Amino acid sequence: MRDSFWHSLSLKTRLALLYGGLLAVVLCLLGGVLYLNTRSFLLDATAKRIRAQAKPVIEHWLYPAEFMPPLWGQSPPKTRNSIDLERIASFLARDLTSRDTVALVLDRQGRVLAVGRRLPEEPEAPSPQPFYYRRALAGENEVNYTTWLNRRHLLVLFIPLRWAPGSEEILGVVQLSTLLTPVDKILFRQRLVLIVGIGLALLVGAALGLFLTTSVLGDLTRMVSTCRAIALGNLGQRVNLPHRRDEVGELAQAFDHMVERIEASFAAQKRFVANAAHELRTPVTVLLGSLEVLMRGAQDDPTLSAGLMQNMYREAKGLSRLCEELLDLSRLDLSSHVKKELADLETFFSSYMEKAALLAQGRALSLEKGPSLAAELDLGMLEQMLNNLLDNAVRHTREGDSISLGWNQGDGWLEIWIADGGEGIHSQDLPHIFEPFYQGMRGKEAGGTGLGLTLVKAMVEAHGGRVQVESEPGHGTRFTLFFPLDGPQED
Amino acid sequence: MADRPFQGTKESFWVSNRGTILVVEDERAIMEMLRVGFTYEGYEVIAVQGGREALDRLQEGGVDVVVLDIMLPDVDGFEVCRRIRSRGWDVPILMLTAKKEIEDRVRGLDLGADDYLTKPFSFDELLARVRALLRRSGKKSEAVVLSAGDLMLNVETREVTKGGKPVRLTPTEFALLELFMRHPRRVFTRETLLNRLWGYEYVGDTNVVDVHVSHLRSKIGDRPPRLIRTIYGVGYAFYPET
Ligand SMILES: Nc1ncnc2c1ncn2[C@@H]1O[C@H](COP(=O)(O)OP(=O)(O)O)[C@@H](O)[C@H]1O
Ligand SMILES: [Mg+2]
Repeated sequence: MRDSFWHSLSLKTRLALLYGGLLAVVLCLLGGVLYLNTRSFLLDATAKRIRAQAKPVIEHWLYPAEFMPPLWGQSPPKTRNSIDLERIASFLARDLTSRDTVALVLDRQGRVLAVGRRLPEEPEAPSPQPFYYRRALAGENEVNYTTWLNRRHLLVLFIPLRWAPGSEEILGVVQLSTLLTPVDKILFRQRLVLIVGIGLALLVGAALGLFLTTSVLGDLTRMVSTCRAIALGNLGQRVNLPHRRDEVGELAQAFDHMVERIEASFAAQKRFVANAAHELRTPVTVLLGSLEVLMRGAQDDPTLSAGLMQNMYREAKGLSRLCEELLDLSRLDLSSHVKKELADLETFFSSYMEKAALLAQGRALSLEKGPSLAAELDLGMLEQMLNNLLDNAVRHTREGDSISLGWNQGDGWLEIWIADGGEGIHSQDLPHIFEPFYQGMRGKEAGGTGLGLTLVKAMVEAHGGRVQVESEPGHGTRFTLFFPLDGPQED
Repeated sequence: MADRPFQGTKESFWVSNRGTILVVEDERAIMEMLRVGFTYEGYEVIAVQGGREALDRLQEGGVDVVVLDIMLPDVDGFEVCRRIRSRGWDVPILMLTAKKEIEDRVRGLDLGADDYLTKPFSFDELLARVRALLRRSGKKSEAVVLSAGDLMLNVETREVTKGGKPVRLTPTEFALLELFMRHPRRVFTRETLLNRLWGYEYVGDTNVVDVHVSHLRSKIGDRPPRLIRTIYGVGYAFYPET
């Protein structure tokens, strides 16, 4: 549930939240560590100061000057006992007490032997906490803790009182409690600085983060609206972010390029369909009109109907041819339709020439053999290509003109060519003859669909090859098909 | 309206000339269809393939309507149209267009064309438009009252009288009689009559034609030698003079 809510947020919000959250956690951790460090340092320093101040006083009262040098290093005299402590306790406590520090002297049983507090402005002493007291009694030298008394923050220290310096035997314990007001003041100021600083840093960070994500993701939002516009059919739309060199800019560029290509192929497709429909106009007009004329009564007169029937037959045949060629063309979008087999060219051409003779209609057909050669070709397609080229050659030559075909081996290429001595192709038509439905000025009269050469080009390209045309108006035309000879060259 | 004398085209010897149509079209198959279709309907057809030729032919006069294709090899249809009008000729023009020239339609009419049709078109539709153009131009209007002896048929009021007495005909019988009277002496096969009266898509027995013809004959009191004659093995034909 929460997961889906998270994913329902926009990327921008999610990034901003993540960024802000991370910043907050890092800053708080840093601040916290810093604060705790300062606090323990300050407490430590305070404790050390108090202890340093207490040390001479304790030594003064516990080890009077006359005992010190001679007794040093010897076993302690038995005369000193807790009675002694009781005697000096009040002095000790009084001397250890100052304006913000109060001393208590405790004996081994935890009884309070003396309280240093005399003046009202001196803070009250908290009663010792047994846990810490016992630790001090056990010989631990540095037992400190903080506590609250009458809403005042206090640091409490225990100092074990020893029989002699370094002695194991402990007479009692001094409790020193000191006000932490100055330390708390410093800590309060630091807390303030940290909280305000972190808050400011978070604000600045959030603003920066928002600016960054907006500048990165704003362009993505723009891409989204462009995509929507395109989906609605406006293929002319572009994201257009030339100023951005980053990943988003690259994405936009790639996107624009893709749309460019799609738009172009869409336009080509549209043109193709329009052209195809246009090609249907004449045959359909002829078929529909002629049938109506016949049915209105022209059928009753053989002199009228014969011509109409012939026309209809011719147009219907043209339609069927158009259908076939369109179908062929649609299949050729996939070069996987090419089924290559290893073929010997001499064998292929000697059998092809027999079929070609049937199409030649009185033209002088000849074969010019090239080097003996075997190549990987789709022979069905090769035959169709040659048929289309031969059909064109026949339709653009007169009876008795020559048409020759043959093959050659070029630099890594197999060249199959067909040349005629016919009318040639006008230089205005030459750049366009491979376009679908394009027919030259003489092409229309000669019949055909304008798809013949389009098919030839598509087929040879499906083989990884190309087609070339040379023509001289009035003298003839030569088409050459180039097929790659070695495997690696085709792809 | 009196029949025109023999016009010279071999198909037109048995029909009256209803007008002369100049057809300008470079697609041969379409031209052939239009030529045969209009000729059969009794029009004289002058067929030309280019715009220049069309203008030359118009110069000679005697053209009642022009059917003009837009895609022509030399001067295109728009230009031909413009030149016809700029020379002050008011012959009605019907343009044949391809649909991708939709906005050209408007232009076609601006340039002085009177009507247009988009390819592919129906011949019947074209014929109807040409007839309308001829009627509007008033040059060749079709007869409203057809007569044969004492038999009279009024196309507008849809009245038929025989010797002055009204004859009541069903719509089919009326259409049949009108067709016969408009094309005297032309032989119609039963199939053609079926197509003309029941529509091209009607599929049925041709006997239905015989039934209607015999009803019509009895209603107009047609006795031998008949007006509506049976041509054995072929169909029927109408002979007004007996
Ligand atoms: N051998 C040729 N000689 C002259 N013109 C040619 C020849 N082959 C092709 N053409 C021109 O190229 C055009 C396109 O040819 P093609 O695509 O086969 O269409 P189609 O043959 O159906 O017209 C033809 O209309 C014609 O003008
Ligand atoms: Mg061809």
